[in-house]
Amino acid sequence: MSALFLEPFQAPFMTRALIELVLLALICGPIGVFVFIRRLSFVADALTHTIFPGVVIGFAAGGLDGIFVGALIAGLVTAALLTLLTRRAELTDDASTAVLLTAMFAIGVVLVSRQSSYTSDLTAFLFGRILTVTPRQLGETAALAVLILGLLAVGGRAFLFRAFDPGGAAAAGLHIGRLDLWLNVIIALVVVAAVRAVGTVLVIALLIVPAAAARLLTDRLGDMVIAGTALTAGAGYLGLVISWSASVGYGIRLTSASAVVLVLVLAYLLLLPAGLRRRRRAVPR
Amino acid sequence: MSWWDDAVHRAVAEAILIGALTGLVGVRVVPRRLSFFTMALTHATFPGVVAAAIIGVNIYLGGALAGIMVALGVAALSRNRGQNAAAATGVLLSGGFALGVALVATQDGFSRDLSSFLVGSILTVSTGDVATTAAVLAVLMVVVSVTARPMLFTGFDAEGARAAGIRTGTVDLVLLLSVEVVIVTAVPAIGAILAVALIVAPAAAARMFSDRPPIVTALAMTFGVLSGLSGLSISGRFNVAAGAAITLTATTVLLLSLLLTRAAALLQTRRTMTP
Repeated sequence: MSALFLEPFQAPFMTRALIELVLLALICGPIGVFVFIRRLSFVADALTHTIFPGVVIGFAAGGLDGIFVGALIAGLVTAALLTLLTRRAELTDDASTAVLLTAMFAIGVVLVSRQSSYTSDLTAFLFGRILTVTPRQLGETAALAVLILGLLAVGGRAFLFRAFDPGGAAAAGLHIGRLDLWLNVIIALVVVAAVRAVGTVLVIALLIVPAAAARLLTDRLGDMVIAGTALTAGAGYLGLVISWSASVGYGIRLTSASAVVLVLVLAYLLLLPAGLRRRRRAVPR
Repeated sequence: MSWWDDAVHRAVAEAILIGALTGLVGVRVVPRRLSFFTMALTHATFPGVVAAAIIGVNIYLGGALAGIMVALGVAALSRNRGQNAAAATGVLLSGGFALGVALVATQDGFSRDLSSFLVGSILTVSTGDVATTAAVLAVLMVVVSVTARPMLFTGFDAEGARAAGIRTGTVDLVLLLSVEVVIVTAVPAIGAILAVALIVAPAAAARMFSDRPPIVTALAMTFGVLSGLSGLSISGRFNVAAGAAITLTATTVLLLSLLLTRAAALLQTRRTMTP
């Protein structure tokens, strides 16, 4: 039994994949909670798509190293545009997010479709290459983790104030637009940090599912952060084990990123009864 | 050799039909703020389509079934205390997407199928696809004209509609199903993600020129058709992916509409300010 759960990690690339996922859990745990309370799921989804043109341009300009810079620029541009668009009254925020998402994604597709390795690039973008994470990439993720958590620590209290009482926050002298931009930039940084390693499929899930599942267990934000982080790390480990044994033991091609997401969603579904029970306790009939 | 034997002719017909179809349903999506839900439907339709292709049943059927499950799932999950609809939608979106990707990865030659699902390939649509699109458009036009009044009432005042004896649950279900059907129909031509652009952008643009539902609907369908046709011709001239060219044209239409209305508003204020 223990062989099943430990043996995969004797391969160095599996250990590196696990370390990357744990690092991402540390980032996404706290950020996911803010995505949850500010209802920014769509923004998170949009960012994972809008960095695509940046990835393509970056790769064309500077090879593998260019991807990071390109994604970073595209992410920051998106964060700024999203903040601007959602403050205008002509379009509802969800419509403008949808339009920005599809337009930037289409630019990426146009750029890619003029190159020869069209389909395989798109696939790598979706799945990422978690099993080929290099020690250097781990270092970059760790550095970004420190930066992201630092930015969050500085803005955290203001974000909370703005989330629960926008009018009060504005009256207290906080700049709502600047705060929204700040949070969008942080989410963009998370997406950029994670997307090359784990692909868009997994990034969306890491930002949304753990916090939603943690909310089923507790109302307290601090506890939600801890539960979300633990859940992500656990699902990362279990997903890697499952995808390893499916591929090695049974010859089923199960990509690691999908396995991790499916474990997370399963955990959410299993926690649903707990949420229902809590609701019943809170509202006595 | 009939007219339909030419791939470009089929693509033109499909672009016109898809543009009209997405415009028609988009007018109902945008004011109800269902854009994110539409996005989730596109991602979650994915495992349904892939599973149907693997088992060998009709992919439209598989996609529609998966979409119904998502619609019901969002409704059920967001009833949970503390779970907002955005989070529930997000969970289903990522779960469906991951499931679809996992299913696709078990197949050989999967990356080609995957990208054609995401971004479509309008130049390879068959006569059958065009016929399906035409049939769906005809059915939806009937549905829309029959349900126009209860749909409008529910959209603007759900409480009042319920009090007036309209079954708002059924109305909402009809709306969600129409969106799902349109997405599944548009997938072979422009792909799942870019279908969202054609649903949202023309409708949002049309909304700037008028408040009256029939005019907005007609405008949105016109914008949809125009985006489809000009995107197709741009794609042919500059050798870029057709779905992406159509999306970018639709975005341009929206941007131009924004600029036009803003310029008109500026002129208006200047005229009222000068005596």
